[in-house]
Amino acid sequence: MSGQQQLPPGWIAQWDQNHGRYLFIDTATNHSQWEPPVHGAPMNPDSRPQTVSPGPGHGPAPTQSKRRQYAADQTQAYYGGADMAPVGPPSYMDQPIHGGGGAGSGGLFTPGLTAEAGGQPPYYAPDTPSWQNGGQSPGPAYAQPPYVGGGGPHGQPQMGALADQFSQMGMSQHGAMGQKPFGLHTTNLIGVPIDPRELLRPPPEIRLPPGACLSQNPLANADPSYMRSTINAVPTTSSLLNKSKISFGLVLTPHRSIKDGDEPVPVVTDTVIARCRRCRAYINPYVQFIDGGNRWKCCLCSMSNEVPQLFDWDQQRNQPADRWSRLELNHSAVDFVAPTEYMVRPPQPPVYVFLLDISHAAVSSGMVATATRTILESLDRLPNADNRTKVAIIAFDVALHFFSIPPGGTEASMLVVSDLDDVFLPKPTDLLINLSETRAGLEALLTKMGDMFQESHTVGSAMGPALQAGFKLCASVGAKIIVLSASLPTLGAGALKNREDNKVLGTAKESALLQAASSFYKLSAIDCVRDHISVDMFLFSPSYTDVATLNHLPHYTAGGTYFYPAFNATRSEDAIKFAHEFGEVLASPIGLEAVIRVRPSRGMRMSQYHGNVFTRSTDLLALPAVPVDQSYAIEVQIEENLNTPFVVFQCALLHTTCDGERRIRVITLALPTTNNISELYSSVDQIALITLLANKAVERSMSHKMEDAREALTNKLTDILGTYKNTMTSAGSGASAALSICDNMKMFPLLCLGLLKHVGLRQSAQIPPDLRAYAQALLGTLPSQLLIPYIHPTFYSLHNMPPECGTIGEGGVILPPPQPLTSERLERHGLFLIEDGQTIFLWVGREAVPQLMVDVFDLPSYDQLRGGKMTLPILDNPFSERVNAIIAKVREMRRGPYRPCLYVVKEDGEPPLRLWALSSLIQDRADQLPSYTQYLTQLKDKVNGSSYS
Amino acid sequence: MTGAGWLFLFAVIAAAGLLFTMVFFIIMFSDLECDYINPIDLCNKLNTFVLPEALFHAFLTLLFLLSGQWIALFINAPLVAFNLQKIQSNSHMYDATEIFRTLSQHKKESFIKLGFYLLCFFYYLYRMILALISESE
Repeated sequence: MSGQQQLPPGWIAQWDQNHGRYLFIDTATNHSQWEPPVHGAPMNPDSRPQTVSPGPGHGPAPTQSKRRQYAADQTQAYYGGADMAPVGPPSYMDQPIHGGGGAGSGGLFTPGLTAEAGGQPPYYAPDTPSWQNGGQSPGPAYAQPPYVGGGGPHGQPQMGALADQFSQMGMSQHGAMGQKPFGLHTTNLIGVPIDPRELLRPPPEIRLPPGACLSQNPLANADPSYMRSTINAVPTTSSLLNKSKISFGLVLTPHRSIKDGDEPVPVVTDTVIARCRRCRAYINPYVQFIDGGNRWKCCLCSMSNEVPQLFDWDQQRNQPADRWSRLELNHSAVDFVAPTEYMVRPPQPPVYVFLLDISHAAVSSGMVATATRTILESLDRLPNADNRTKVAIIAFDVALHFFSIPPGGTEASMLVVSDLDDVFLPKPTDLLINLSETRAGLEALLTKMGDMFQESHTVGSAMGPALQAGFKLCASVGAKIIVLSASLPTLGAGALKNREDNKVLGTAKESALLQAASSFYKLSAIDCVRDHISVDMFLFSPSYTDVATLNHLPHYTAGGTYFYPAFNATRSEDAIKFAHEFGEVLASPIGLEAVIRVRPSRGMRMSQYHGNVFTRSTDLLALPAVPVDQSYAIEVQIEENLNTPFVVFQCALLHTTCDGERRIRVITLALPTTNNISELYSSVDQIALITLLANKAVERSMSHKMEDAREALTNKLTDILGTYKNTMTSAGSGASAALSICDNMKMFPLLCLGLLKHVGLRQSAQIPPDLRAYAQALLGTLPSQLLIPYIHPTFYSLHNMPPECGTIGEGGVILPPPQPLTSERLERHGLFLIEDGQTIFLWVGREAVPQLMVDVFDLPSYDQLRGGKMTLPILDNPFSERVNAIIAKVREMRRGPYRPCLYVVKEDGEPPLRLWALSSLIQDRADQLPSYTQYLTQLKDKVNGSSYS
Repeated sequence: MTGAGWLFLFAVIAAAGLLFTMVFFIIMFSDLECDYINPIDLCNKLNTFVLPEALFHAFLTLLFLLSGQWIALFINAPLVAFNLQKIQSNSHMYDATEIFRTLSQHKKESFIKLGFYLLCFFYYLYRMILALISESE
């Protein structure tokens, strides 16, 4: 079989001596191209025998020679030269999902996965000479049905016959129950390959009873990025919920960013706000108009309320308006402009106080220079719509340095306070300066500041007193305090000791390191909440800086922590990352003086709140400033039986925008109720569920032991699987060879495993407490969109990606299909990208061909490549452009300020970096932690070993 | 009136005082649940009473020890140990940031203490009367 034979009719391949690869020419049009032409016909059945794979445990896997063979001419392989099999349309769907198999795995091999392995790398055609000569018999390819669209009536055909049987039984069992709005597809987990694209699926559809909603607008129910529930069909009784073992909760991101292509939140400007008299819920698309439209019935508490007189009146044009076109009756997420009743005081201006560390460590790492430059560059991006924004800068080392600029002045005067025990403000005015009035002076100050402390050799940090000064400065207004610190606070209030102790790591005592060492930060947080002060921490220490303790301040004041271990501004990657994230935080349109209240339908109660908030009452969260894209998880309890066909959750965020307008953002989520456990299971949103469990696990690891948190997670998973087996499959309480779960929770066990292996929770004696505390802080605040890749990194294979990847498509740059997270997919001559939203690893196989090195790194050979943080050169060749486009896309496609650094990892490079990158491949075994297959076996044994009723 | 009589008279008054403190705590907790008070004020208020209450109770127990009232000492010793352990682990104060998470525990603890003081109150009363009777005979 030659390349020509597989080309579409009319194409020929011609070997180009100069470039060392094939040129493809369309004889009909004389068009030529480097990329192999693609034709829509299905692949030649001879080239890839399609068999249904037997599941594991059905005898040995078919012929698997584990000899490592690599194409003789790897340049061709890398470019997918003429020998590349035209694998039908390069859409991912027809390709064997885990073709990479044992042959390509190089030295890394997970024993448990052998049974699945054995397919051929999709881009290496079976006719590559060495493959043939090597006597490799083609392994079975797995007929992977397209998963979108349900994949047939039950499960996936490639799962073991046994599992098929089960799922069929499961189906018939519940088919008899008559109406079945949710199709429950039972899937066997064992031996089924993982398709990471499952994670991109939308949550199970919310099927409200007809007539529940007043509007036909698709936006009438909450978008999952604003508010999602772990269950999209609420059980009518708490006993049903307890029986299913699913945790019921909401994941909330009320102040979500609006990216390009997002629908902006509509604003109701006429200040006619209809609210229920009893439960204070806002009018929404799920209310009922009664009494000829003069009254409305609240969908939360069934109270009948009067419709306000001006509800049907267009105040701008002074004429009657159409009620049905009102925004709050058509949109789930809507902003109301709040009248004065919603204000305790006039809207506060945005105030930014920068506390800048100028000790030796901070100056020598270049943090001070980078930070001041970023502030200077961001002055225009700071929210300042009505010229009221105020700024103050306090520098601290062993003393406090205040900078005072009179209005309109161009010269700043520095005032030093060295009394740290009783902090006072050296001047009553001009320390907190108006940005617009004193712009020139501020710019001059910031320009100078980088050099001003260049000679500083003081060691020690009075962060605590600086914070107190900051609180004093803006206690009457409220503010956002941004702390930039490069050393452990050692002086005055809030001084901390280095308590890092390597002997404790990995033991039960480790959780003590994650708790606060000093009560100062927690107590200050309480005062901050009262004074509407929110604190952000940017930490840059080269050594231990006690992130766990310092994080308490952002945690309770709704701020954020950003950690840059071993920051060094001379490395441009570090400087760019920090400047980008800092700039984004400064430019983000924060909401001020905010409270969040979540109201459920009658019969339910919000029981626990997780995230960076201060719980001010059983149902009220106080946030001095609402950051953009931070998520909160809320647990819900069912207290009474629900006897309505659907229930409603309404989140109201009252805040002052940075333009000084008081607004209420209302987000309404309506969910149907069910008394059927199979409907309950088929409506589980695994993404929301893992977000909630991640929050709970982090909290548990701080209050109890790390071990407890991990065990609780596995127990939860075992309970769910066990109950599912007993109630939903024919196996009942007996032992079963399969591990069944509904199709929509297929990825849940893997996500749990990812969480167990995450830096924030992993059993290990190697993880520094700072990194762990930071990872935990992220786990508790990231919205689902960022959290999922953080737990389950995305893995792309670049050297053999389909030709359209990296080019601009309909939705921006086209990304390659994600691969399952196993090192079996790492080929020795390959180029791979692993990213978790916080870091990007570019894995280079040790036999990477010179052409690849030249095209991507501009280096002659693999040996010259150095691992570590780097910026990829942008070279003038299509492959480099595509790789850079993919990296750029990966960096900007998600919400949040984060800009991941790129690490180049050589397969035989420094072990720490290599191990770090490999730890992202969560399906593999690592130290004591089980591989995915082992984990499933453990779960199966547990499920079979204990009885669930 | 003998020493025992005076001692138990004092103990009755002390137990009544402690009883009222606990009632106050419980009322405050239910106020918090009904959103009549915010957690910061609540904790500030309650925290002023936590240490005096523990000290006062420890003082009473010390009096029992010095006067050789072994049964009374035996009844009170566990609570002293409990308070001491809480103070040692620095968890005796109410934390405004965590109060809603731990509210049910706090309420339970307060109710148990309430019951305990009530029981003590009647025991002290009984012992006081017993002491007075034995004196008059």
